[in-house]
Amino acid sequence: MSNERPPHEGRREFLKVCIGGMSVVSAGMVAYPIASFLAMPQQLGANKPLEVALSDLLPGQAQYVEFQGQQLIVLAGQEGPAVFSASCPHLGCNVIWETGDGMFHCPCHGAVFNGKGEVVRGPVSTGLEKVPFDIKEGKLVVG
Amino acid sequence: MRLVQGIYDWFDERYHITPLIEKNVTKKQVPKTLGWAACFGGLSLLVFLVQVFTGMLLLMYYKPDPNTAWDSVTFVKSNVPMGWLVQRIHTVGANLMIALVFMHMLRIAYYRIYRKPRELHWISGVVLALLTTMMAFTGYLLPWTQLSYWGAKVGTEIPRAVPVVGSQMVELVRRGKSISGETLGFFFALHVWVLPAIVSGFMGMHFMMIRRTGISRPL
Repeated sequence: MSNERPPHEGRREFLKVCIGGMSVVSAGMVAYPIASFLAMPQQLGANKPLEVALSDLLPGQAQYVEFQGQQLIVLAGQEGPAVFSASCPHLGCNVIWETGDGMFHCPCHGAVFNGKGEVVRGPVSTGLEKVPFDIKEGKLVVG
Repeated sequence: MRLVQGIYDWFDERYHITPLIEKNVTKKQVPKTLGWAACFGGLSLLVFLVQVFTGMLLLMYYKPDPNTAWDSVTFVKSNVPMGWLVQRIHTVGANLMIALVFMHMLRIAYYRIYRKPRELHWISGVVLALLTTMMAFTGYLLPWTQLSYWGAKVGTEIPRAVPVVGSQMVELVRRGKSISGETLGFFFALHVWVLPAIVSGFMGMHFMMIRRTGISRPL
């Protein structure tokens, strides 16, 4: 009987499947916590709105604030306060407010934006990103 | 499966892994007379590797600064998914490692396995045991809790008993007169880089010796 399976062949296959299955389950038990550990966690206070007291804003001055990991500029302009993303639309450097000429200057490639965030000069065609905000009880609120 | 086998064979043809695995794992001869107490050394290594791995994960969130250390550990424990598990494994693993290392040492001392030709095995082992306690001590300060602060304060007070240079030694390990941010940074550097590097060196020495002499057989 040459085509008959040798004894215990079925048992060996069964044990192979069992060991393989248990290995996969064990690997999953290690991999799942690691994968979830490396996933992006909820940051502390991520949903908290940003508040700036209007009395802190000096006319003609700008201040940097951080909101949800993003740098914002709060500008106390002549037509009331405005909030922009500090990131230059060209390559993402933080723009700097110059009180002298009342313009935003990008230190990286010389882009210039006026107090409304519009392009005056430079390698970009889009202005600074405007961030919507509310004014509540003497406070400027973003988010 | 065929693909995995193919990739394995490709590497095996070049690296000759199979004879290594057969010699050291699948066809390794272990004396029948050895009991389960002979496992403590290997278990210490296993827990050490778990500590290295969970330590890598914790390092992704830990900030070694007095203002942020406690917050970052709390963040891992309460906000990072499975962070509580990783942090707890690292803490329990530290205690387990000390226990295993000392049980390993007790067995070696009891059966007098430290005798010739295994003197260097014993010496490197004693250094490794001391380094293990140093790893535990430096790691204990890192969460910057009341317990860790006072633990570090009491622990670093010990060298003051040394005659003449005692006080200088205390200041040296504290990086100042008291436990401060400098101490935290110093302990952090010791815990994640300096001590593991030294430990790896002595481990190499330790494992090379067991390759040389083989495991000791009880009579």
